[in-house]
Amino acid sequence: MTADFLNSFQSEWLKTKRSLAFWMVVVGGFFTPAVIIVARLVRYSRLPEIYSDDNFWALLWKNSWETMAIFFLPLGAILSTSLIAQIEYKNNTWKQLHALPLSYTTIFFSKLAVILVLMLQFFVLFNLGIYFSAVVPYLLVSGTPYPQQAMPYRFFLNENILYFVDTLPIVALQYLLSLRYKNFLVPVGLGFLFWVGALASLSWQFGYIIPYTYPMFNYLKDVERSRAVTPEVNIHLLALGYFAVITTVSYVIYLTRREKG
Amino acid sequence: MHVLETHDLTHAFSKEETVLSGISLCVDDGSIYGFLGPNGAGKTTTLRLVLGLLKKQHGSISIFGKDFGKDRVEILRQIGSMIESPSIYSHLTATENLRLLQKVYRCPRSRIGEVLELVGLANTGRKKAGEFSLGMKQRLSIAIALLNNPKLLILDEPTNGLDPNGIIEIRELLRRLNRESAITIVISSHLLSEIDRLVTHIGIINKGRIMFQGTLDELKRRQQQSLSVILETNDLGRTREVLSQDGVEADYQNGRCILPALPKERIAQINRQLVDRGVDVYELSVVKNDLEKIFIDLINE
Repeated sequence: MTADFLNSFQSEWLKTKRSLAFWMVVVGGFFTPAVIIVARLVRYSRLPEIYSDDNFWALLWKNSWETMAIFFLPLGAILSTSLIAQIEYKNNTWKQLHALPLSYTTIFFSKLAVILVLMLQFFVLFNLGIYFSAVVPYLLVSGTPYPQQAMPYRFFLNENILYFVDTLPIVALQYLLSLRYKNFLVPVGLGFLFWVGALASLSWQFGYIIPYTYPMFNYLKDVERSRAVTPEVNIHLLALGYFAVITTVSYVIYLTRREKG
Repeated sequence: MHVLETHDLTHAFSKEETVLSGISLCVDDGSIYGFLGPNGAGKTTTLRLVLGLLKKQHGSISIFGKDFGKDRVEILRQIGSMIESPSIYSHLTATENLRLLQKVYRCPRSRIGEVLELVGLANTGRKKAGEFSLGMKQRLSIAIALLNNPKLLILDEPTNGLDPNGIIEIRELLRRLNRESAITIVISSHLLSEIDRLVTHIGIINKGRIMFQGTLDELKRRQQQSLSVILETNDLGRTREVLSQDGVEADYQNGRCILPALPKERIAQINRQLVDRGVDVYELSVVKNDLEKIFIDLINE
């Protein structure tokens, strides 16, 4: 079973090669850091002041996550998850996949594992991007001091874990929708609607019911003058709960499908 | 021994639409089984059921003597398949397509080159499968089906999209695989002429029912039984009279008599009698129904 899962995972991973989902992860990971680099190079005269700030890394982290937590992370999760399942629909390969000597459980979870590893890859690339967005202006613009404060690795790691956990329900629900609907527009369209709903419900006291809000809430918790309501529940635990429940439902739906290709 | 056996398979996509009724297939070990039927007859649905791509509603499926429902994974390890249109990842090369399946089958990596060579795709290099012609995609699908050295090969219309040369090559390849590697092959087609020189056994399906199942020889025997003699004369009335007196039962269509298969001597005798009675015989010929005609007759029953 374990060997089957590992082989199936490797097989699924090979399918992402040159796929749109793969490129989205790469481009998405470096997009915001690239914007920050360009913005800082354009306003290079302010660099000494920015790089001398005692909170340099915390501010950079916050700047980097602003658009990421609200827009790119939820939308990226929606698109990349849908695209992974779409690989089979687009190529008419579900029938080939289901005629392989693999249990349905192995197929379901190895595909989900690939999506989660892609998400991890995105986080790694984004963190690298954040580091580059600090280093590149320092290297290119003379007179820019290297930040004196040590990089807060532990804080970054903790925040990464929380953002990752907060994205899990989005992945689970998009996975369910992508397996259920052949038409790519259905999971993407529904995901987009949920995302808009999440944005609209940030100031609602029960906004945390919508799982797409969690990365946003995680970012907004430290933002002063935010109109968002701080949830009175532990959204990270809630995210894990949603992920477990939605994945179980998705698995049952997948297993009981009458047609498998 | 039957490699593949289905019993009383019945399937309906809705209450109003029963697509298969009591399909019982028997595929002998080492045979090449041609599964024939017109488009929409139920061939693909049957094969999808056999591979577990459709949830079985009624009946049983046994492959290699094992119940498919219970030993699905173990059975599929020994099956190569290609159902309907090619199933290939268009953003990957031919080698990459095979590589991801080689991981699952856990067969030697050298097997990828072997099957690509077998189907004539060894030189496609970095070309993505999406840029292949339909024939090349079909060949790649066959290579995929062969990758795990299967004991049973299930191919649903594998020659679709191939040019005549490609069809001959694939036919030769399948014949060789059957002969040299003792692979049992189930091949579906809607054209008898496409596979009658390949198969050893035939199953004919129409409107979800099996109309014939047996060896090619049995089908040919039916062909012998369906010979007829056509007789055309200048006077149908007198011809009918002569034949009736001679005890020959004939059909009369379009001004011609159609007689059942008769010995040569008897045909000559009838001719003599007609001429002696002053009837001019314009045509007296034996009609041999080819296999295609038998097939058409079976699906029109």
